[in-house]
Amino acid sequence: MSRKVVSVWTSIPFWRRSAGWVTGFAAVLLIWLTFDSMSQITMGTDADLKNGITKRVPAPTVINYKITYEMDTRRGHEVPKIGEKEKFFGRDDWSEEEASALLRLGKLASQAKNCMNCHTLLGNGAYYAPDLTKAWLDPAWENYIPMTGSTTKEEAMSKFLQNPSMYPSHERMMPNLGITEREAIGLVAFLKHMSSIDTNGFPRNFGRMSIDGVTGAIHGK
Amino acid sequence: MIDPFVDVVPSFFATLNQGPLTLTLFLHTIIVLPMFWIYKSEKKRLEEEA
Repeated sequence: MSRKVVSVWTSIPFWRRSAGWVTGFAAVLLIWLTFDSMSQITMGTDADLKNGITKRVPAPTVINYKITYEMDTRRGHEVPKIGEKEKFFGRDDWSEEEASALLRLGKLASQAKNCMNCHTLLGNGAYYAPDLTKAWLDPAWENYIPMTGSTTKEEAMSKFLQNPSMYPSHERMMPNLGITEREAIGLVAFLKHMSSIDTNGFPRNFGRMSIDGVTGAIHGK
Repeated sequence: MIDPFVDVVPSFFATLNQGPLTLTLFLHTIIVLPMFWIYKSEKKRLEEEA
């Protein structure tokens, strides 16, 4: 058999096969990644919470528990920790149905009022106003309890949301969006649940954005 | 380069994607190596046809 000098680089079948392989492999990889993400984003159940099973997205009933943000030295960033039972709007026995309904109301309200037009939620949205991903854990809310004449953080948040222009908060003052009391409760539940989601430390250095380390992310920008 | 697994939900891609380097090396390996085989088989075919 004669071995002639040939150029594979000018061969159309070579490029066709290469393109076929890369496209086919990328398609398989993307389908695999889709199913891989499903296990990451699947919401946990109430039983998981009771049994101390850690899920990236906990059950809606996480609003019955205290959430803190603690440094995990092994992972190199802060992670939300679900602690003891904590009253949320005077109750720590929100059922799965009630909590889901509340989160749904909050989610719909956040979409209807277009929070993302100014804020960021889980990496989506704008950076005009503070990032809301971990807003529930923001130490600045402590100042809002006396400012709004409230007794709890959730009450202060809901009062602020119903009438934001009444309270001096940010250089870029939040406008009144006509949020009702019920919607405000839903929004606070939605924010509390969102703060319990393990986002691999996003947004980075959330609790330490301010210069004094006390006022938190709202005044920290 | 390969760090101990610290993610919440165990996943093959989370292990692989410790940083940009590991995933890049993996994807290049898996895409480029079969292309060597495609190149060689095409070369053989062209030589036989010639």
